[in-house]
Amino acid sequence: MKTPPKLEDLIGIEYSKLGFFREAQEKIAQLHASTVELERRRQQIQAILDGITDVMAVITPEGRITSVNRVYYEVFGDSSPVGRACYRVFRKQEKPCRPCPADIAFRTNRLCRQEHIYTVGDVTRHFEITASPLRDSQGRPCHILLLKRDVTLEREYQAKLNHAEKMSTVGLLAAGVAHEINNPLTAILGFAQAIKKRLPEVRDRLPEDFGSDLEEYMGIILDECARCQEIVQGLLSFSRPHSGTMIAVDLNGCVRDTVRLIRHKLKEYPHIDLHQECAPDLPPIRATPSDIKQLLLNLLLNAVDAMADQRGRIVIRTGIRGAEHVVLEVRDTGCGIAPKDLGKIFDPFFTTKPVGRGTGMGLSMCYTIAQAHDASIEVESRQGEGSAFRVVFRKMT
Amino acid sequence: MDIVKFSIPEIIFGRGAMKYAGLCAKRLGAEKPMVVSDPGLREAGWVSRLFDVLAAEGLEWCYFEDVVSNPRDTQVGHGALFYAEQKADVIIALGGGSPMDAAKGIAIVVGNGGSIHDYEGANRIHRPLPPMVFLPSTAGSGSDISQFAIITDTRRRLKMTIVSRTLVPNISIIDPMLLVTKPHHLVLAAAVDALAHAVESYVSVIASPFTELQSLKAIEIIAAHLPRAAQESSLDVLESLSIASTAAGMAFSNASLGADHALAHSLGGMFDVLHGEVHSVLLPAVMRFNLEHAMAKLAHIGKILTGKKWKSARTAALAGIEAMESLFLSLGMKHRLRDLVPDRDQLPTVCRMAAQDACLLTNPRPATWEDLLAICEEAW
Repeated sequence: MKTPPKLEDLIGIEYSKLGFFREAQEKIAQLHASTVELERRRQQIQAILDGITDVMAVITPEGRITSVNRVYYEVFGDSSPVGRACYRVFRKQEKPCRPCPADIAFRTNRLCRQEHIYTVGDVTRHFEITASPLRDSQGRPCHILLLKRDVTLEREYQAKLNHAEKMSTVGLLAAGVAHEINNPLTAILGFAQAIKKRLPEVRDRLPEDFGSDLEEYMGIILDECARCQEIVQGLLSFSRPHSGTMIAVDLNGCVRDTVRLIRHKLKEYPHIDLHQECAPDLPPIRATPSDIKQLLLNLLLNAVDAMADQRGRIVIRTGIRGAEHVVLEVRDTGCGIAPKDLGKIFDPFFTTKPVGRGTGMGLSMCYTIAQAHDASIEVESRQGEGSAFRVVFRKMT
Repeated sequence: MDIVKFSIPEIIFGRGAMKYAGLCAKRLGAEKPMVVSDPGLREAGWVSRLFDVLAAEGLEWCYFEDVVSNPRDTQVGHGALFYAEQKADVIIALGGGSPMDAAKGIAIVVGNGGSIHDYEGANRIHRPLPPMVFLPSTAGSGSDISQFAIITDTRRRLKMTIVSRTLVPNISIIDPMLLVTKPHHLVLAAAVDALAHAVESYVSVIASPFTELQSLKAIEIIAAHLPRAAQESSLDVLESLSIASTAAGMAFSNASLGADHALAHSLGGMFDVLHGEVHSVLLPAVMRFNLEHAMAKLAHIGKILTGKKWKSARTAALAGIEAMESLFLSLGMKHRLRDLVPDRDQLPTVCRMAAQDACLLTNPRPATWEDLLAICEEAW
């Protein structure tokens, strides 16, 4: 039973008409707190979204863009794409693309990943596109989240790596071939020498002109055999796996050997002039000779490429620097290196040569070799005037 | 003198004051008020008049008229559901005590939840109610002024009294024009109710100078105009009765009532008799019962009702009660309890229930249920 009302209840001094003031105050305070919290979360999420380095866009099933992230503006420019059709914004096309990853994701309600190549501005880019459906509370897709990762560089590097691997296989094959050729070459050389040695015995029994021709032919055979041997030896020494054993090496000797190897290639480039300025009495360095030859060869091949279609001069110079160092310099008068590329030339696979001509591995290899020898590489280049690469070794102690 | 309290709503009074209903609701934050009225007022055209007023302020509305005389708990429940369904805001009541009390009940339930029974008694409402704008169509009930709501408990067959300052409506718009279409006998019954309010609040144990002033003014106006009202319901008379009713409402909302209303609530709950018809039967008997405990005040009332000076207070008081009885008789009102209650055997039950009524607290003479039964027997 409820307590019956008392006189004081009827007078009701302590009771007033109840207002919404306190409730409203509390509600306002709650709303304020939740607004602050929501704003904090929004900023957190925005920071996460801004941290994504891929182009991100949310589109409707019809392909209208509803929002994009910061990276979008970096890649596609400053005007807002919101409300426009994705195929117009991304590809400047008049109709939807086929196949459309967003459409597939929407229809299958599953993530769809595809790679597409198209032109943005004037640059052809390779995008990895991930379309994932954004689902409503019933799990049905209502929007599509598009992530576009620019994989242009990765794909280029991958192509170059594939090429480099192919080249290295070719190199191994060449070494095998060289080895196989060496044996018959030795036989040819041996027998040719034997013929030459026995030729005077039968000289008087031969007609005069035939005898002199034979002598001349034998001379040519022997010379050419010697040249073949040189090439074969060069190939063998380059393809031999790095032994890693460091010995005292005369830099001038390495230069001579390498120049011998490259000379026949230089015959294709009669407009290129090769000079050697080797300092006499050069102190030895501690090195693996095949590595040093490889390093020099790479520098020389780059110099040749730099002057592929112009007259020019390559100077190989050795010398002493101070009391501690021995310097090997390759200087050319070729095209030089663009300032913007200067920082990247030692990166693996970085190249300015057309695909198939350079692997982008040459200077990277030089750098690795120099490091293994505790040497540094100095580069000096002016675009259009030429470049100089200096490898600074420590003197052997 | 004890510390007293006097609280009333904002009151807008005058012929044609209804035109402010929309503006008032809007000021209280209305976009879609809920209008509570009854079929009688709809048929008289007042509901559509009110809709016009709301429309003029650009308001939407929803309409609820499932209200009978002595509004029921079930109707309050339906009204609260309707309010929630319609997403209504301000509650506008147009009508007599029934639509206004129903509107209060609906306001309690929508503001506080649960069922209306949870709030029976005094000051059990702890959460704010929707804003309320009331337009009384009777000059009597005082519900547009008071802190009371009377709702019938259909299961227990009694009237629940709900008391809370928060039941005082925000704005009371009193337009005497509304009385013009009222059936004559209802106008008279309401005036008698107002008179009962005035008399009981005047002799109440918690009457204060602020309420006594209103009580006496109401008695004076009713004594002067009620006989005329019986002849012709001119707008001037109706306006005077409205003023009296409003004054009586201000008095009883703050000073409460007495044994007559305790019994009236009990009878209304059990037999569904019209509230305004009970007082002509019971009020004189209650006044006699209270005589010794409120002699001076009853004498004052007698002086006003008879318009004469009397030698002693007792003669004045008794002359006043007799004058009141003859007035009721001349108005053709019921004056015996047997005309209202079918079965005399039920009187003890009625009185036991009335003894629990909050109104009895302020009766100048404490009364047991047996005392109440004696009053009823006298009035039988």
